[in-house]
Amino acid sequence: MRDEKKEIIRVERELMRGVGPMAVLKLLEDRKMYGYELVQALARESEGVLTMGEATLYPLLYNLEAKKLIRGVWRESQSGRRRKYYSLTKKGKARLASHRMQWERLVEVMHHLGLSGSTSGVDEG
Amino acid sequence: MQDELSAATRRALTASDLPEEIQERIFAFISVLPLGADEAYDVALELIAHFEDGLSAGRPSAELLKSFGDERTVVRLIRKTKRRQRPLPRDTEHIMSGDFFLSTLWQYIRYAGRRLAQSPGFTATAVLSLALGIGANTAIFSLVNAVVLKDPPFEKPEELVSVLRTAPDFPYGTFAFPDYEDLRDGTKDVFKGVSASQLLFTQTDRDGGVEMVIGEGVSGSHFPMLGLKAELGRTLLPEDDLAEGAHPVVMLGYGYWQRAFGADPDVVGEEIRLGGRLYKIVGVAPEDYTGSLRGLPAAVFAPLSMAEELFPGGGGDRESRSIQSLLVKARLAPGITMVQAQAVVDGIVDHLLELKLDDFDPETGFLLVPAGDVLTFPGLDPFLHAASWLLMVVVGIVLLIVCTNLASFLLAKGVERRREIAVRVALGAGRRHLMGQLLSETVLLGILGGIAGVLVAFWFLQMLVTADLPLPLPITLDLSMDTTVLGFSIGISLLAGIMLGLVPALHNTRPDVGTTLRDESTGSGGRRRHSIRNTLVVAQVAGSLVVLVTAGLFLRSAQNMDSLDAGFGREPTAILSLFIPTDRYSDEECRVFTQTLLERFRSLPGVEAVGLIGNLHLNAVGRWTESINVDGVEPPPGRGYHVVDFTAVSPRFFEAAGIQVLKGRDFTEHDRSGSPRVVLVNQAFAERFWPGRDPIGQTIRRGDDPDFTVAGVTSNTKVRSLVEPPRPFIYRPYNQVTQRLVYIIARTSIDPEQIALDMLTAGRELDPELWVWEVKTMERLVSAQLFPTRMAALALSAFAVLALALAGIGLYGIVSYAVSRKTREVGIRISLGADHAGMVRLLMGNGMKLVAVGGVIGLAGAYVAARLLTGLLYDVEAFDPTAFVAVPVVLVVTAMLAAYIPARRASRIDPATALRME
Repeated sequence: MRDEKKEIIRVERELMRGVGPMAVLKLLEDRKMYGYELVQALARESEGVLTMGEATLYPLLYNLEAKKLIRGVWRESQSGRRRKYYSLTKKGKARLASHRMQWERLVEVMHHLGLSGSTSGVDEG
Repeated sequence: MQDELSAATRRALTASDLPEEIQERIFAFISVLPLGADEAYDVALELIAHFEDGLSAGRPSAELLKSFGDERTVVRLIRKTKRRQRPLPRDTEHIMSGDFFLSTLWQYIRYAGRRLAQSPGFTATAVLSLALGIGANTAIFSLVNAVVLKDPPFEKPEELVSVLRTAPDFPYGTFAFPDYEDLRDGTKDVFKGVSASQLLFTQTDRDGGVEMVIGEGVSGSHFPMLGLKAELGRTLLPEDDLAEGAHPVVMLGYGYWQRAFGADPDVVGEEIRLGGRLYKIVGVAPEDYTGSLRGLPAAVFAPLSMAEELFPGGGGDRESRSIQSLLVKARLAPGITMVQAQAVVDGIVDHLLELKLDDFDPETGFLLVPAGDVLTFPGLDPFLHAASWLLMVVVGIVLLIVCTNLASFLLAKGVERRREIAVRVALGAGRRHLMGQLLSETVLLGILGGIAGVLVAFWFLQMLVTADLPLPLPITLDLSMDTTVLGFSIGISLLAGIMLGLVPALHNTRPDVGTTLRDESTGSGGRRRHSIRNTLVVAQVAGSLVVLVTAGLFLRSAQNMDSLDAGFGREPTAILSLFIPTDRYSDEECRVFTQTLLERFRSLPGVEAVGLIGNLHLNAVGRWTESINVDGVEPPPGRGYHVVDFTAVSPRFFEAAGIQVLKGRDFTEHDRSGSPRVVLVNQAFAERFWPGRDPIGQTIRRGDDPDFTVAGVTSNTKVRSLVEPPRPFIYRPYNQVTQRLVYIIARTSIDPEQIALDMLTAGRELDPELWVWEVKTMERLVSAQLFPTRMAALALSAFAVLALALAGIGLYGIVSYAVSRKTREVGIRISLGADHAGMVRLLMGNGMKLVAVGGVIGLAGAYVAARLLTGLLYDVEAFDPTAFVAVPVVLVVTAMLAAYIPARRASRIDPATALRME
């Protein structure tokens, strides 16, 4: 049991550095988004990234912010609600571009290996 | 702080319209976050917004809470990420706390330890081969450190110079006492001080035990001038060295104090009996100063004025300029350069030449050399340097082979791990992190290998120190593991760990994981990995070939030396060397006593012939020369006489030594002090001075001393070394020379070791206080000459075999790997009717190509090495056909075997099984 839990944490941690961040950067490429909006978008477009819970988005965001790949700014929305809006920094844009090609190749290879799609190891974890 | 946070968060929550259970969840969540107030508040606001957005999107609060997820994971993640955002001071504080560094390090070590424990076979092999490689390096470095690197603890060593007495045939001579006095008195303006020291052998007599020990006579200026401080008590001082025989005081050597006195702290003031006289112990020398000659630690230091008493007849003659046994050092006066000092010293030599002294050779010069440039003795230093470098390079190559070998194993292992690593890279594990993990594995291997290696080295050095080596002198080196040696071992262990891990780590974590995954998954590629492993095998083959050929050359050299004939002592012969003290025996008594000894030894069972010789051939300690003239033969240009080696022997010595008397007669009892001066000369002497004439009855002139008449001619023997060409030599009757240090040799029909001990016992019966210097056999005497070459050949061969074995294992690995990749192909071919032999050839082909490439590079390297080493070899050409043909054959056979085993196994595989694989 204990080992299983460790494994979950390990995968989660690596998720923080791999698929998740990439997906967030991609989503923020077009426009600024706030937390809940990102949760919804990820649930819709990148099934499985937040299987560990919606809350995992926030450490993911803080991580990217710490690396100066995104920037969060508190703003009042049109509805008058205060939200923290995240946008890509220059560094974030560069990172996204540099990873895109490699990422595409990886997906292809993972598919080849039978690791991609809904049967991915991440899902099973 | 925490209260403020709670209050602020509470206020924010109350201000929101969130249901109570959500408010509670957020509050509980925030309160366990290990963050600062501002950070936690920020998170709280964001979570409030999150839930508000969720609720306004129409999701029920229960569902929102459920999908929010496990808090503990999130708390952990937030804690980590938020830390990164902290301003610098807080980060620094964290890192400076040591936790960060230590925990990371610990993490790496644990990971590495786990990985290594998973493959115990590989780990054991790796640690063992690293232990051999690092052990060899550590052991050799300890030797080099003891011989070449360790500096004596002199004060301001840059001011010290060694003064050497040069002559055309020997540029590194020692000083005679009168020369030393002239030098000391004539250089007061340029030297702050001049000191002299002399190696001597003396006998200690403590608690009934009599022991011959190495001592050193030193001038009173010696210790003060070198700036040496006593470990206990005081050093010898100028007032201890005023009048000959008047100062019975000694300092103990540190090692002897430890060994013989059990490091007794109250030893100062006690007395010790040396050479039959009591000496007061005034102090103990410092641990790091063992005397003037490295490797020959002095048990006692005595004033030079006592040298003749301690070692009567041992070169303590203060009148003669032809007895030269002093090592001279001087300290430059402030502001004086070597050049200025040399000019003054040259002036002294000119002055001595003007005096036209009988015993001052007109070609003598005094030469100043910086003391730091002299390790032991200038004549020996180049050999020590060359040998040190050679051994260091060889063990370095061995360690490199070990590393390349393990690296190539790790590359192969990397194949097994490729998926794990690729997936981790894909999931975002940083390359630096992965490399850190992979390197930590090999560095841990290096450290484990290093620990084992130091143990191996320690064991080897212990063996070397305690081994009964056939050395010409009781050489003792300080081979203790000091900080320099340990530092070196730690350094090379880490270096080895990094070296063997770097290539696999770089390769296995390279960024284009996609390619790796694709290549490996289809089983088609890994070409780059392949080529790296191939390069490593080529390097191993080349490296081991260089070591093998070098070892081959030294084996050839040792073989050549083994076949050398000393010209005497071919039969089993025992040797007992004695010192007959002047205080108890007059010259006449000495002659009678030796006569009695010889008669007594002749009666021992198993003894066939007994003889006595003053200075034994191949004796490393001293050499006797006579200045002579022969009518009709001009002396060398610039000289008034010929210098010829001689010794003194008893009647029947030639019979005992197996030297033939070719013409004339042997000495008899009638050749005594009052009778005419007769000599026997060897064949080389006869041919040099009376070619084509009968030497019997010829005259040899010695200036004012009585002439010699030649009574006989003997066969040639080696005199100074086994490798010299025949050297003219004179034998004088012992009764006309009477030396106190004598060697009695006995040809035996039984074990000479036993006879030597019987002689000792019989001798002690005649005189219980007999001074015995050495008890050995002729075989050991000759072995001492062969020792350096044999030792070098043995060490190099051991390293070469190790290198060959490692290269063989490496090649085996390569072929096994290649075979495993081709199993399917083999299966298809065999099922299509290919024969086994053809398959074996196909599978071995690649491996053998690598051997060929490595072989060519290795041969070129070996040729260069051989050219550099010719000076250390005896009668071996740089391009020695045996070494250069036999060694590659051995290598090729080993390589073929290493490649054949896996290839043959694969060719026997059942085609059906092979086809099902992959």
